[in-house]
Amino acid sequence: MTSDTTPKYTRLEICRRFITSVRHSTELGIEVTEAEEHRVTAIMPWQARLVGNPDTGILHGGAVFAFLDQVGGLAVATRVYPSFEITPTIDFRLDHLRAPAKGKAVVGVGECYRLTEHVAFIRLTAYEEGQQHDPLATGLATYMRMKISAQNYFGKSKA
Amino acid sequence: MSEALKTLIAACRKGEQPYQALVERVPYAQFLGIRIEARGEELSFVLPKADTNVGNPTLPALHGGAVAGFMEQAALIFLLLEMGEPKLPKTIDFTIDYLRAGLFRDTFAECRVTRLGRRIGNVNIEAWQTRRDEPIAIARAHFLLSDEGA
Repeated sequence: MTSDTTPKYTRLEICRRFITSVRHSTELGIEVTEAEEHRVTAIMPWQARLVGNPDTGILHGGAVFAFLDQVGGLAVATRVYPSFEITPTIDFRLDHLRAPAKGKAVVGVGECYRLTEHVAFIRLTAYEEGQQHDPLATGLATYMRMKISAQNYFGKSKA
Repeated sequence: MSEALKTLIAACRKGEQPYQALVERVPYAQFLGIRIEARGEELSFVLPKADTNVGNPTLPALHGGAVAGFMEQAALIFLLLEMGEPKLPKTIDFTIDYLRAGLFRDTFAECRVTRLGRRIGNVNIEAWQTRRDEPIAIARAHFLLSDEGA
């Protein structure tokens, strides 16, 4: 029997369960690939239905935004682990540095560089797979901490 | 921008095509389910409630990213129609403040062009659900106005 102090899920598992519970993020096809205390990485595959410019096949800025907004939420989740909190976005600024290439999956990295009692401060970067030195978008965001247990959020079923 | 889009904008202005056609050509706008309701040249942007746009299953609430994507797309179309000689707007930056939870209901967006320069446009966008004076989110964005193909 595990002791009470042993977390039931790993950081990566918590992040993946979180994504599974968010319908819009599953529609975007977001998958969490790495989750460390200060950094989370996720990937969003290119999908024809997420295209913003039908003449070029470039993803819509809104899809990149929604992806990174979700990555920011994950960055808070992995930082407050092993507890879990609902963290609505307070504000978010996204700079589109260049257009993402057609057909390429987008990788998003979120870093929680400051966590206070009520607010999490997150830095975000997006790039195409394998192009981490040439980001396509950078963002800064704050999230509000609303403390709620994982059990209340995910329900009582055990995975 | 493509000749097809220029032709479509002209047809919308003449009433030969519904403004909704501007949404239908953008896959992501259709993915979100955006509707344009027009009275003459006055447009309202609507994001009808949809399961696929839910972010918080317990409230339930819309995903902030879906609301932001809706607002960005509304601004793009609004700006496109503000220009006498339309150029393709490309988003430079997008900044949003979330003021209230976006509940699982229809959402509306209103746009205002703050500055329309030769190369850059600045647009303010407000999104609301129950009352216009109780926005759920306010955003502003800069767009590069490009003559180029992409």
